[in-house]
Amino acid sequence: MNREEAPGKSPEDMYIQQKVRVLLMLKKMGSNLTPNEEAFLRNYAGVVHSQMSQLPQHNIDQGAEDVVMAFSRSETEDRRQ
Amino acid sequence: MSMANIEKVKEWQETMYDIDSGIQSAAPTVREGDGEYTTKHYTMTTTVTSGADPDMETYALTRKQRVQAALFPETLEEGATILSTQTDPSQMTNVQRLAEPSQMLKMAIIHLINYQDDAELATRAVPELTKLLNDEDQTVVCKAAQIVNQLTRKEAARRALMQSPQMVAAVVRAMQNTSDMETAKATASILHNLSHQREGLLSIFKSGGIPALVRMLSSPMESVLFYAITTLHNLLLHQEGAKMAVRLADGLQRMVPLLKKSNPKFLAITTDCLQLLSYGNQESKLIILANGGPEALVHIMRNNNYEKLLWTTSRVLKVLSVCPSNKPAIVEAGGMQALGMHLSGSSQRLQQNCMWTLRNLSDAATKQEGMDGLLQILVGLLSSDDVNMLTCATGILSNLTCNNAHNKSLVTQNNGVEALIHAILRAGEKADVTEPAVCALRHLTSRHQQAEVAQNAVRRHYGIPAIVKLLNQPYYWPVIKAVVGLIRNLALCPENQAPLRDAGAPPRLTNLLLKAHQDAQKHGSSNQQTYQDGVRMEEIVEGCTGALHILARDPVNRAEIANLQTIPLFVQLLYSPVDNVKRVAAGALCELALDKPSAEIIDSEGASAPLMELLHSNNEGIATYAAAVLFRISEDKNSDYKKRVSVELTHSLFKHDPAAWEMAHNSVPMDGPYPDELDAGFTGYGVYGGDNPMDGMDGNMMQEDFPSSMNYDRQMYSDPY
Repeated sequence: MNREEAPGKSPEDMYIQQKVRVLLMLKKMGSNLTPNEEAFLRNYAGVVHSQMSQLPQHNIDQGAEDVVMAFSRSETEDRRQ
Repeated sequence: MSMANIEKVKEWQETMYDIDSGIQSAAPTVREGDGEYTTKHYTMTTTVTSGADPDMETYALTRKQRVQAALFPETLEEGATILSTQTDPSQMTNVQRLAEPSQMLKMAIIHLINYQDDAELATRAVPELTKLLNDEDQTVVCKAAQIVNQLTRKEAARRALMQSPQMVAAVVRAMQNTSDMETAKATASILHNLSHQREGLLSIFKSGGIPALVRMLSSPMESVLFYAITTLHNLLLHQEGAKMAVRLADGLQRMVPLLKKSNPKFLAITTDCLQLLSYGNQESKLIILANGGPEALVHIMRNNNYEKLLWTTSRVLKVLSVCPSNKPAIVEAGGMQALGMHLSGSSQRLQQNCMWTLRNLSDAATKQEGMDGLLQILVGLLSSDDVNMLTCATGILSNLTCNNAHNKSLVTQNNGVEALIHAILRAGEKADVTEPAVCALRHLTSRHQQAEVAQNAVRRHYGIPAIVKLLNQPYYWPVIKAVVGLIRNLALCPENQAPLRDAGAPPRLTNLLLKAHQDAQKHGSSNQQTYQDGVRMEEIVEGCTGALHILARDPVNRAEIANLQTIPLFVQLLYSPVDNVKRVAAGALCELALDKPSAEIIDSEGASAPLMELLHSNNEGIATYAAAVLFRISEDKNSDYKKRVSVELTHSLFKHDPAAWEMAHNSVPMDGPYPDELDAGFTGYGVYGGDNPMDGMDGNMMQEDFPSSMNYDRQMYSDPY
């Protein structure tokens, strides 16, 4: 029975919901899943569907941010011609 | 000799010698009796008779003539000849011997006479003229100024004038007090003429000329402006104390508005003045900024072709480009694009100045639009052999691609990856080139639409071995840090995993990680930071772990990394106070835990405890990785362990979904099933119902289908509601 949309979810449902979320986020971050984990997601496709829209839109793990290099630390004179 | 001088001489000689004209030039050099040779050149004496045979009377008469001819050959009438008395060709006559030195003496005397005349004239006239310049009648002043101006054209008079402080002061006073155009022009011209000698500059300086000249910069007369700016320029170049005096007289505030003029030569002098005044002087730079300097200078760069003007203006911009306040203003005024217009011309000095200035400005220009043309030119300049050019081009590109997806994609599409790789190969160990080049590649390989294209391009252009080689000793940490970040990005592309392995990336990264971690630990408390070459070792730890994390996505690399004994270190890093380090360590363990043997090692290293803590992290990435590792290592655990993990997991996961937590909290009884087993951080809210569904977990916890994840048998949960 699909109980994801019903109010007052059971602990089991909530747990599944959260686990689906973890696995989806792992995938979003580019990580591998085990075959069993992939099967889990297939099993709870409905939950997957509802969770997808609730995942954070921003990229979660993109590595270190770009940082500028500060070149203008000192003044150098050039030869006057 | 001029006609006037000839006349003078003639007059002189007629009074002195009473000789009529018509004489010849002197005799050639001959060996003298005592054996000495003279080395001077002499003109040949032509001893031509006038036709008649010489006789003694004639001989006596012409002695004077011979002397005159020797001394004043220019007064000889054309065709006239003087009889020489030379009888022996090997012996010079007395007159002949004296001819040359006499000639020289004569010239010297003549020059002195002229100089003397001018000088005397000036000396006698100076007090008079000074008085006239101070006259109340402006017409008198004007005339006097014009006369003095005439005098300053001749050197001797000029010297006399500049030696009179009263005169110079009078000129200065007349200049700044007059409302008459001609007086202003004449007095400005006087000072301008005086400014070509050091003594003149000093006299102007001492007479308060600088404030007066600065005031003249507001004159509506172009000629006055020209004289004033040129004189000030000479003062700034050669007179000690002039810079300070010009600044004190608000010279900058008057000069900057002049940048709107159109005469290129005038502008060249004005911009050079600004450069002289602002180099190394922060206050001057701020005054230029406050008076609209950046906009005016950029406008000049955009709208002129005169090379000298472009060069002097680029020098001012270069000086201003190190000022944190001027930088954004120059960028906003379109400075980057304007400077970029002059990178392809024939003037190397202009090109170089523009490049250094662009480099200085680049960190303030990361959000500028309209940079496509500049970026394309810079990619082209990466093929230069000039190390200065390469240093600047790589530096500018590195900054302009920083956090700018549009610029990243544009550079990638314009073969920037290939050009950067070649620059790195040519640069060798020159860190000034390799560091920014690697940073630029790192930027290009992440966070934009063409990132994958760039990641593949690095491999296709044989960049991977060269890049990994940069991790070798001797370690220059800024380069290491950049390379490690680039490798992480390259590993995002599955096709790069094998080449990276073949180039030896995993062991090199592991060694660096160990070294950096040990160095960081050596300094004791976590609050202390270890810097080497300006890089914190904690950054290297984070970078290397992050790279190994992504490399571990590949099964072969994963096994190699595990075999390098990295797991204990990653587990240790879970305790790091730095979130980023925790994240990459958890991420690495998450990948490694995919392999059962590694999962067991992770567990045996005591990773559960720190991972449980990390479930509560505010950082979603950390919490996710930690949860995944716990899933994977708890597959064979007993039910109590699984219960605890599930409780922690569910609790912490609800943190990110407060509404669901609220619902869960309200829908179940408060009694927690295992309060004494719960983690200290757990608040004790029972998630599961009074029927204690956890009892059903024993042995049934893990469904067959999900060996590596924690799961509940649906049957466990009889719905109490």
